[in-house]
Amino acid sequence: MLNYIWTFLVLVSLVVAIGYDLYDEVFDTYRNGKEFSVTISLTDQSSSGRFRGIAHVTAEYYNAHYGKNVLAHNMDIPIQCTVDSVGNGTFQLFLPEQAPQPWLTMAKYSPVKGSLLGVISRVRFVGTHREAHAVLCFEPTHFVKMRSVTQAAIDFVVTAVEIALGLIGVMALWLGLMKIAEVAGLLTFIAKILKPLTRKLFPDIPSDHPAIAAILMNTAANMLGLSNAATPLGLKAMEELNKLNPQQGIATNAMITFLAINTGGLVLIPATAIAVRAAAGSSNPGIIIGTSIIGALCATIAGVTASKVLQRFSRYNNEITNNEKEK
Amino acid sequence: MDVVVKNSITILSIIAIPLVIALFILWALVKRVHVYEVFVEGAKEGFTTAVRIIPYLVAMLFAIGMFRASGAMDIFVMVLSPLTNLIGMPAEALPMVLMRPLSGSASLGLMSEIMKTHGPDSFIGVLVSTMYGSSETTFYVLAVYFGAVNIRKTRHAVPVGIIADVCGMLGALIICKVLFGIL
Repeated sequence: MLNYIWTFLVLVSLVVAIGYDLYDEVFDTYRNGKEFSVTISLTDQSSSGRFRGIAHVTAEYYNAHYGKNVLAHNMDIPIQCTVDSVGNGTFQLFLPEQAPQPWLTMAKYSPVKGSLLGVISRVRFVGTHREAHAVLCFEPTHFVKMRSVTQAAIDFVVTAVEIALGLIGVMALWLGLMKIAEVAGLLTFIAKILKPLTRKLFPDIPSDHPAIAAILMNTAANMLGLSNAATPLGLKAMEELNKLNPQQGIATNAMITFLAINTGGLVLIPATAIAVRAAAGSSNPGIIIGTSIIGALCATIAGVTASKVLQRFSRYNNEITNNEKEK
Repeated sequence: MDVVVKNSITILSIIAIPLVIALFILWALVKRVHVYEVFVEGAKEGFTTAVRIIPYLVAMLFAIGMFRASGAMDIFVMVLSPLTNLIGMPAEALPMVLMRPLSGSASLGLMSEIMKTHGPDSFIGVLVSTMYGSSETTFYVLAVYFGAVNIRKTRHAVPVGIIADVCGMLGALIICKVLFGIL
């Protein structure tokens, strides 16, 4: 199943990205190679043909040029140009952060991030050289989505390693503490107390197994929103469950029931959501506590029920029997 | 009453970890366990477990990252919104439903954005933050937890996770409609 979803995500991303890029090419979203006329107020001019100024972009012209109603007000953007004696040269347009599309996208994929580069021509100085009329031709922009998909793939891979390595410290701490509890017999003790509750949920686990205690502690940490403790404890629980796994590499029923409880996301106080609501100026950020608990209860009950029902179907047990045959 | 419950939960989550640490060590001392040696023995596993997760997490986040960047989400929203309109789910909440199981950071961004445009106390604002607060990043959890024990055949874990997510989202929608919306 994960194979299909994984392949689906990767292939759909590529197909959609190509689709968007083809759309951009066909409808010439970026007006590649088209001329864009501006008036520039000069602020600084040196003898070598290099000058700085403010380019005035009118909303009317911009919207007509790109065929979209994106710019509401006229815009003034800093520009720097290097021009020869005939009035041809290069320019760099320093886009502000709230620049309109498609310029924002073009600047994102420009060689100098945040700026638009290109060729300036037909520069005519007017008045006492305080103003100039010119024609801009931007560097062409192609395959924006393909580039962003590739970049995202690389960025996320780096993030994945950072997340995993970031776990080392807390993992070591909690595995150390759990080892102490295990050797001291505390985990067995907890498991025995919970026997009536866990016998139904995890019939495959012996009632005094340390896995039960790890599962309980993971669930408790999750409910209290202690994610730093929850992940190490959850992984400890998985390792304990894996000790009872007759076929290494294949998930057991108990593991899937445990994950159903875990991904149900039962939290007593959804701290992140409340913080975001408070930051957005909510008059009652905590109003979602009750509704979140009910939502999570629905998810948990449905997940546990589904894990119990689906494990009965032979289709899902095929993999285990096949594996046994191979052995 | 609400405040009392909330405060006691907050206090509980602050003292939980120190309490557990103290309990473990005191219990071990009573049982005459060599706590330091045993701690180090257990902590050794921390590195290998974290490293063991890497390939699984890389594979999962690689696909999810591409999916996020491709803009495929917009197309899914377009295709699915007539269906979700039938059950009375606002179209603005649909990206959250689709993104929540895949990426925690993306769904957090979606939530903040919706708060900004619709206001945190609007029906959509409450609904989306309930959806965020009541579920987990299922695929991340699957990758990390199964990765830690080198499990590649996940059997019915993915369908179970998806069923749980769908039910959780529907539960959030229904409870928000009952309490804050017009049913």
